[in-house]
Amino acid sequence: MRVYLRYAVRETLSNLWRNRMMTIAAVLTVAVSLSLVGAALLLKQSAAQASAQWQQGTRVTVWMQPSATASELTNVRSQLESLPIVKDCVYYTQAQDYQEAHKILPLVEWSVLKVSDVPSSFRCIPTVPSNAFVVESTFSNQPGVYKVTAPEQQIREMNRAIRILQIVFLVLAAVLLLSATVLILNTIRMAIFARRREVSVMKLVGATNWFIRIPYMTEGFIQGLLGSVVAIGAVTALHTWYPLHNEFQLNTGALVGTNVVVLVVGVLIGSVGSALAIRRFLDV
Amino acid sequence: MIRFENVSKTYKNGTVALRDVSLNIDKGEFVFLVGASGSGKTTFLRLLLREELPDRGRILEAGRDVSKVSSWRVPYLRRNIGCIFQDFRLLPNKTVFENVAFALEVIGRPRTTIESQVPQILELVGLAEKAANRPGELSGGEQQRVAIARAFVNRPLILLADEPTGNLDPSNSESIMALLERINRTGTTVVMATHDKALVDRMRRRVIELDHGEVVRDQVRGVYGIDEPIGGR
Repeated sequence: MRVYLRYAVRETLSNLWRNRMMTIAAVLTVAVSLSLVGAALLLKQSAAQASAQWQQGTRVTVWMQPSATASELTNVRSQLESLPIVKDCVYYTQAQDYQEAHKILPLVEWSVLKVSDVPSSFRCIPTVPSNAFVVESTFSNQPGVYKVTAPEQQIREMNRAIRILQIVFLVLAAVLLLSATVLILNTIRMAIFARRREVSVMKLVGATNWFIRIPYMTEGFIQGLLGSVVAIGAVTALHTWYPLHNEFQLNTGALVGTNVVVLVVGVLIGSVGSALAIRRFLDV
Repeated sequence: MIRFENVSKTYKNGTVALRDVSLNIDKGEFVFLVGASGSGKTTFLRLLLREELPDRGRILEAGRDVSKVSSWRVPYLRRNIGCIFQDFRLLPNKTVFENVAFALEVIGRPRTTIESQVPQILELVGLAEKAANRPGELSGGEQQRVAIARAFVNRPLILLADEPTGNLDPSNSESIMALLERINRTGTTVVMATHDKALVDRMRRRVIELDHGEVVRDQVRGVYGIDEPIGGR
């Protein structure tokens, strides 16, 4: 066993060195492909996170008639509170809305406004953004309700955009991963093809398949490892320096998760790829 | 040591390589395998190495049925068989020493064994002073002797040689044959496929002639050609 370990280590290192151009090519291929895969994964997560945050911010507002009676108010309030699709409701009194109008309206218009003219309102957050429409249809004809407003068109468009964005990023990542696998497989196969004579001699003198396979797998493993380390650097750099809007900015956990995926994929592609690549040279 | 019982082999493209071959080679024999190109000599050797499996019949090697050796055991079977080829099959980027040591490393021999056995065998083939050279720096005859050293270093029971003198001039062929005879005297069974008429005629060893996959002659102290039949079947 110790003999073999020494043999495998020596063989792996000398193979890497002897085929250093090929090694560099393989490492760069892995690095570039996995950087792109990592970036795509990161952007996908960003989009998902931003979408979630926007959806949290979706509000539906039930405006009451300024003349609404106390019983009408209580009625609407209790209905809103018992509705399961409504997560949270805050009641804004006429005075509060009056103050808010002060911030929104130009002074000329606001100055003619009286507190008693202003509708009081329930600002509600639905559990799912699309539920805003349900709230709207339920309450717009209730007694004492003036109007229900929800940013429906924006919600719809935003959701569609995010969904498309996520699919695009996923497809991109999958295609890149596939091309990386094929490139690595090919690189290793070329490296082994260059040494098929050595492999045939090994078979001839009675080397077992695993004996032959392991140094090549270690070689692929190291190539994959080096490639993914470079890719991790690139992904981390992207995360650190690329200016993304607040909602898109991911936390360190997501970055670490992405990097772990990159590392595992790189190492697997390298070692499994070389095992696959050597297979045909082993059945002699 | 080697026993063929009604062995037939047809390749996928329809070529019949061996047809109902039965023969027996005892331990310590020296056998020439002769015949025109395509007569089945190489297939015969490939079957012994289990690079191919027979379609029909049984091959026994050192008492073992070759067809019944499971594929993962094949490497262990091959450790009992040394082989040399016309094109030497040395690794060009390893030194002579490393080429021979390779055969021992591959079967997991410890370094102390390698360091004692390799110089010994290089001494035997007369290349002790070339241990640090690479194959490219050696003559054809020297390269073939390295190949023999590699094939014989772990003392196999059987040595297979596929036209080992095919690329060599007469004097180099002579030294290769001397070496093979010496190995044969240690009790190793030697099977050598060859086209070299002069060699076979001079050695007067057992000759098995194949023609279109069939054994057409098996002489105890034979010659290459069939024009002067000496000895019995």
